[in-house]
Amino acid sequence: MILSGYIHNNEHWLSRLDGRVKLVVTLIILVMVLSYKGLAFHLLVTSICLFLFIQMKIPWRVFLLRFSEPALIVLVILFLKIFFSSGEGLFSVDIMGIRITAYREGLAEGVSIANRIIAAISIMAVMVFSTPFAELLAALSWLRIPKAFIEILMYAYRYIFVLIEDAGVIYDAQKNRLGYTALNRRFSSFGILVGSLILKAFEHSQNITVAMVQRGYDGDIPLFDQKPFNLSEVVVSFLFVLSMGVVWVI
Amino acid sequence: MEVLRKVGMRDSIIKIILVSLVYCGTVLSTDIAYAMHISEGILPFSWAAFWFILAIPFVAYGLYSLNKRSREDMSFKPLAGLMAAVVFIISCMPVPVPFAGTCSHPCGTGISGILVGPAISVVITAVALLIQAILLAHGGLSTLGADIVSMGVMGSFTGYFTFRILRAVRMNLAVAGFMAGLLADWATYLTTSVELASGIKGESAFLPLFWKVLVAFIPTQLPLGILEGAITAGMVILLYKKRPDLLIKMRVIKPGDIKMEKQGMTALIISVFMIGTILSASIPAEAAKWSGVDEAVIEKVAKEHGREAREPLINMEQGDLPLFLFLIAGAVGGFAAGYYWRSLIVEKKPLCHSEKRSDEESKISPDGRNDITHRSS
Repeated sequence: MILSGYIHNNEHWLSRLDGRVKLVVTLIILVMVLSYKGLAFHLLVTSICLFLFIQMKIPWRVFLLRFSEPALIVLVILFLKIFFSSGEGLFSVDIMGIRITAYREGLAEGVSIANRIIAAISIMAVMVFSTPFAELLAALSWLRIPKAFIEILMYAYRYIFVLIEDAGVIYDAQKNRLGYTALNRRFSSFGILVGSLILKAFEHSQNITVAMVQRGYDGDIPLFDQKPFNLSEVVVSFLFVLSMGVVWVI
Repeated sequence: MEVLRKVGMRDSIIKIILVSLVYCGTVLSTDIAYAMHISEGILPFSWAAFWFILAIPFVAYGLYSLNKRSREDMSFKPLAGLMAAVVFIISCMPVPVPFAGTCSHPCGTGISGILVGPAISVVITAVALLIQAILLAHGGLSTLGADIVSMGVMGSFTGYFTFRILRAVRMNLAVAGFMAGLLADWATYLTTSVELASGIKGESAFLPLFWKVLVAFIPTQLPLGILEGAITAGMVILLYKKRPDLLIKMRVIKPGDIKMEKQGMTALIISVFMIGTILSASIPAEAAKWSGVDEAVIEKVAKEHGREAREPLINMEQGDLPLFLFLIAGAVGGFAAGYYWRSLIVEKKPLCHSEKRSDEESKISPDGRNDITHRSS
């Protein structure tokens, strides 16, 4: 599994921008994208994001990995909307005696939804590629997301990689002992793998608690200190959001 | 492959055909394979906001419960974080679904619902979904509310309550785990269908689109639900065998429940029976309207040859005869089930020699004194 998150590129101005500013701008643009009915705004957002991807030198492989799943969803939605709507027929195809008709209204709706998905995915990708996860957590904490939620998020993010490694070791051991060879064995091997992961999770949680208690843990982790905002960053971001808002209204 | 080779096709062409077939199968059922997490941007703002508003009280209650539990047990927050990591990994694992020719993934929320309770499981799922949305574009920030409702709320609560109800009627761990995993998975996909259909319906009617999305889910989700049930059962049994203390700590079983539970064929038969009942109940009413071979073929041919069908001697379609028979069947069945209830549900304790002796020894004598005491005196 490839976790295609933050792409380290300190030279790019977007990577140096405050995480809180980026998060707020992303959320505002996301709301605009979701509530816009038309194509122009979505195309504009997608084009800006594409320009930023190229400028940030995002590797093609990472880019494709990030967009492959949404692309498949876009295809399915286009297929559903075009062939399972009603209204004026666009064209018909005979496949093995079954007549399938494409509809004009369905195509229009499908393209609109597809555009919305691509624009929303792109704006999220820009934020994720340019912001380290810890900075995102700090920004979420600044947005008054409950402390317990942030703590769980931190533990989960820390231990995903450890558990993936554990899962790999268990999987290899199972394969070496002829696990996953037949369908029923596949079921039982997978069940044991998941059960073992949960056991590992229990063990890790006990160990980490003991280790933290020895270092003064009292049930709460102190969260991030927020540095003051850079005024120029805030002003430029505000102007950008304002200009996007004008396009959205038009 | 051999047949195609005999026809004279080259290996490369056969491979291309096979890959195309697999690809078509995958693309035509991608909404199944990936739609558990509704992708970023699919839902319009109004629907995205609606699902967020619906999810917030559950997450808030989950956080309240989490804080309460972590005050009692300091290791609970790290445990919840690690459970979120496990749910993240489980719901990223591509599992080949043999009947659909594609890959899909289990939810894992049934498991977490059973282990940490449904309210905290909602928080765990929300965390796993947020990380997936950020790192993998699997789901999205705008669709987080909808995903929390389908996977977190529906999956966790269905899994938890199924497990609890089945355990309350003294069903063994394997069956309860299996049914919890199965129903949690299917409940998740049912909700996802509602969310997807309402999000993409546009000007068209909701119900026809909902049925189309639901039917599109069936080829993958039906077997995957069974697979998730098997995984959940396997996981519960593994924990029971290896670390029953953890199940007691997580309040999944009571200390008194520590005894060898019968698994195997009984569990399988009961599970298959329950799945059959659920599936037969879910057959659409329209299916009943389809004429059978009697009406469509035999009666038609007989009529053509001048042999009209006569009125049946006992006409089941008139009067309350079916209802009467149903009542009798219910009374007899109810009596039998009631009479043999204990032998069906309560497991016989294997009495080993030492237990038998200790039972005899601990008998209370008629004067109220223990036999041993009585003997020694």
